[in-house]
Amino acid sequence: MSFFLPVAHALVARKDLPIPAWLFAWGASIVLIISFFALSAAWRKPRFEGERWRPLGKDLSATLLSTPVQVLCGAIGVFFLGFSIYAGLKGTEAPDRNFALTFLFVTAWLGFPLFSVIFGDVFRPFNPWRAVARVVGGAFTLIAGQPPAHLKYPQRLGRWPAAITLLAVVWLEVVYGASGGVAVGLSPHAAGMAALIYTLYTLVMMTLFGVERWCQTGEVFSVYFGMFSQLGAFGVQDGRLGRRLPLSASTHWATVPGSAAVVIASIASTSFDGAQDGAFKDAIVKTFEWLAETGLSLTTSLRLADTIFMALCFLGVGLVYLIGVRGMATVRGAPPIEKLRTGFAHTLIPIAFAYLVAHYFSLFVFQEQAQFTYLLSDPLGTATTDLFGTASGGINFKLLSANAIWYVQVGALVIGHVVGLTLAHDRATAYWGDYKQAARSQYWMLAVMVAFTCFGLYLLSVGNG
Amino acid sequence: MNSNTTRVVAGIAVIVVAVVLLVVLKKDDSSKTTSNTGGKVTTIVIKHGKPVGGIADLTYNKGEQVRFKVDSDVSDEVHMHGYDIMKDVKAGGSVSFDFPATIEGVFEAELEGRKEQILELTVNP
Repeated sequence: MSFFLPVAHALVARKDLPIPAWLFAWGASIVLIISFFALSAAWRKPRFEGERWRPLGKDLSATLLSTPVQVLCGAIGVFFLGFSIYAGLKGTEAPDRNFALTFLFVTAWLGFPLFSVIFGDVFRPFNPWRAVARVVGGAFTLIAGQPPAHLKYPQRLGRWPAAITLLAVVWLEVVYGASGGVAVGLSPHAAGMAALIYTLYTLVMMTLFGVERWCQTGEVFSVYFGMFSQLGAFGVQDGRLGRRLPLSASTHWATVPGSAAVVIASIASTSFDGAQDGAFKDAIVKTFEWLAETGLSLTTSLRLADTIFMALCFLGVGLVYLIGVRGMATVRGAPPIEKLRTGFAHTLIPIAFAYLVAHYFSLFVFQEQAQFTYLLSDPLGTATTDLFGTASGGINFKLLSANAIWYVQVGALVIGHVVGLTLAHDRATAYWGDYKQAARSQYWMLAVMVAFTCFGLYLLSVGNG
Repeated sequence: MNSNTTRVVAGIAVIVVAVVLLVVLKKDDSSKTTSNTGGKVTTIVIKHGKPVGGIADLTYNKGEQVRFKVDSDVSDEVHMHGYDIMKDVKAGGSVSFDFPATIEGVFEAELEGRKEQILELTVNP
């Protein structure tokens, strides 16, 4: 028995060509060569554990961090969130013509990781929920004469709420959205509702546990974008902007429990999105048919099949990391396994970022053309509005050649691999006093990185959903 | 390197080589079977609003002329995404597409009203 499989088609009018076999072979070979090189030519003392913090000019800091600027940024964030919810609920149901979907899932979701790496934690000032909660908290303090009291946040929960919400966001986008029964993808209405529900949830949690505490642990966008900002050179310390050694901040990012789960969730969800229409397609179809034969509706079957494979991705990526950790624990002089588990989680952040670039680079470049032309001028997709005179604009798909996209994809994975190896080696030299043992422990992390990078290349070679 | 670590490294190398071979061989197979550029026009038949035999696959190299015909038993608009070509088709009628493959990538053609994909067009560089 065979069923008609509903196909995803939301924003994307175009998919990337699979990377050709020769490029795959070259990419994998370069990865191997670099890895062998890393084994022999490496430093013996940690270099990234200290940040070498240098504050930027006092006036620049004072201006950018001043209250008016914070209020302005917060207001901009609140406006765009509110407008996206409005466009989602009131605008057209055509996903590619509605401002909400592209803004939430492309401009913000893919844009902030990129800008966070370059400029630091830029989401923080624009975070609409933080802005609203701070205003409400401030008003409360003014009226009650004391700041609002909060519950104690369970330490052991750490960033687990953010990790789970991260999976939920991607699930909504690529699983729930992909199974609309017809080939539409996530409806703008559903996206608007989801944003509204998330807003209520976040404001409740901020009220319970405090704004900053929740931003550090549970508010998925703060945690996720903040994670990428750790790779970059810019940050804020003691109320002052400054520069630090790139990558160095990431070395103490994962000390909060559940951090490893966040970065694993990121790699897993990107992998699933890439494999859904490529590497896993046949297996998903088989599972879907099997579920549909048990009498479930087609949409439920497909969502369930996708959910199973997304969960498998999370477990698989987590398992590879844990095998690496367990392997390192067998090396003489190793710290306790819990310390290894959190101590090496940050080495996966570059891999997660490389996966994002490899899978979404072309989508971002093409879809931003829509964002800044017709979606800006006609945000509700009514075809009668033209706010900025760009409503008739379109996407120029010739902007990037297939070759350019391939090189960016493979380049991102290779660079991510190198940076991941660098961080892992550096951490090992800090954990193992004896350099020889440190180097030995890193064969395991090397295996982990090679696995992720080659899996990433493999996904690209099969075709990207 | 001691024997243990040599084994790990050799293991990695073997895995990578195996995966590379797997993919390269797989690719070679598929490239033999997909070739629609013989100049004949592919016809996509739409029955009850769905493509007969599933979504059609067409593969071209950049610069070649893309030609296909849609015979439909329903009235709808055929939308060739990416190239953004839209043509109406009447129930029982047919519509022909003939355009140069100028944009690289994988694109879909849909019955726009039904949101039904009928064609996947691949343009290689």
